[in-house]
Amino acid sequence: MNIFTFHSGNTALHRLDVRYKTALVCMVSLALLKAGFAGCFVCFLVLSWLVYATGISFIHLAVQLKWFILLLGIMFITRSLTVPGTPIFSFFEVVITHEGIVQGTLVAMRFFLVMITGLLFSATTRPADLKSAAQWYLKPIPFVPEKRVAIMISLFLRFLPLILTQAQQVSDAVNARCGNLNKNPVRRIRYLVLPLLKKIFLAADSLCLAMDARCYSEDRTDPVFETGKNDMRFLGAGICLCLVMVCPFHIFIKMTFWS
Amino acid sequence: MPPAYPLRPMVNTALFVALICMGAFIAIPIGPVPIVLQNMFVLLAGLILGPAWGLACVGVYLLTGLAGLPVFAGGTSGIGKLFGPTGGYLLGYLPAVLVTGVLSRALGKRLGGDILAAVAGSMVVYAAGVPWLKIAFSLSWGKAVAAGMVPFLLGDTVKIAAAAVIAGKIRPFVKL
Repeated sequence: MNIFTFHSGNTALHRLDVRYKTALVCMVSLALLKAGFAGCFVCFLVLSWLVYATGISFIHLAVQLKWFILLLGIMFITRSLTVPGTPIFSFFEVVITHEGIVQGTLVAMRFFLVMITGLLFSATTRPADLKSAAQWYLKPIPFVPEKRVAIMISLFLRFLPLILTQAQQVSDAVNARCGNLNKNPVRRIRYLVLPLLKKIFLAADSLCLAMDARCYSEDRTDPVFETGKNDMRFLGAGICLCLVMVCPFHIFIKMTFWS
Repeated sequence: MPPAYPLRPMVNTALFVALICMGAFIAIPIGPVPIVLQNMFVLLAGLILGPAWGLACVGVYLLTGLAGLPVFAGGTSGIGKLFGPTGGYLLGYLPAVLVTGVLSRALGKRLGGDILAAVAGSMVVYAAGVPWLKIAFSLSWGKAVAAGMVPFLLGDTVKIAAAAVIAGKIRPFVKL
């Protein structure tokens, strides 16, 4: 499993109408922009439960996200060191501020939750369903060729694993020729990137030929969606979650303390 | 006779969308705006695909990110990213790829012309991204430029040079 791979299953999230799922992802993403610590914590609990219910292993998830988690760590450290405010630790010119730690934690939490939301979406949505949803959403927009856009989305999802595989093959080939011993980083990148791009464009050309040979066109049966009670329940729950996330808990806490 | 179905440009456009996503994963967070490789692939899309398919490429990329797939910098996604501090850069890719594609074609797809086109494309990205960052964080112009443009100029020079060289080498393999 990688970050884009569909994880087969028959959970409620798998069965959810992809149009509702897309709308929910957009809502959660917007709510996270305004969410404070409490809102992020509530979102974290809900997403953790969904990850568990979907059957995705937490260990697998951690392995997949290890580099992103490292990036979040760097982001947190950068914020702690660059945001001005009350210093809590200083060493020569390096000053860690209270405001920096608070802001860094909040930003890292928001990024992490957006990442998990996106991962849940891609793990429970078939590329074909995503293509259908894109076609459905774009249909009312004038001058947008929704079928072509939908085909490009499904093709792009299939290219991602191809690029990763080809990158690994080119890297192995370079290493087999002792290319990894080359100290010049520009040469190393050149020997990796140019053959890789050449290989994937040739693979794309072969795909074109194969599709052409099968008389591929956009005159295909349109997708049919059926909305059930489960979809409406999920939408309602999603709206409630977003409202809770943007709810200013700190004001309630202050009011409780004052009263 | 109906016009030929543009299968080849569509497949190549989809491939560039995938490359832009891969570029977005390699993100180094140095502040509110991370250093990413995705802008190099956006410029490359303009140089190789041309203005129309380049625009389609960035449009599809933004759409997949909006739909929820983790394709934006650092594996993020969602409409919230477009309204966030880096939303201007993401939306700026649309005019940038258009400008790069138009200029590259007008200047004859030569190395010098490709470099000029990529420089103009990068400037368009900053023209959209820096004012957006200024508004998002209520910064002064000086601070917005210092946070959202200056740290990336050196990296952009390398990316522009790489994009122009790669475009020259890859063009013979890309049939549109």
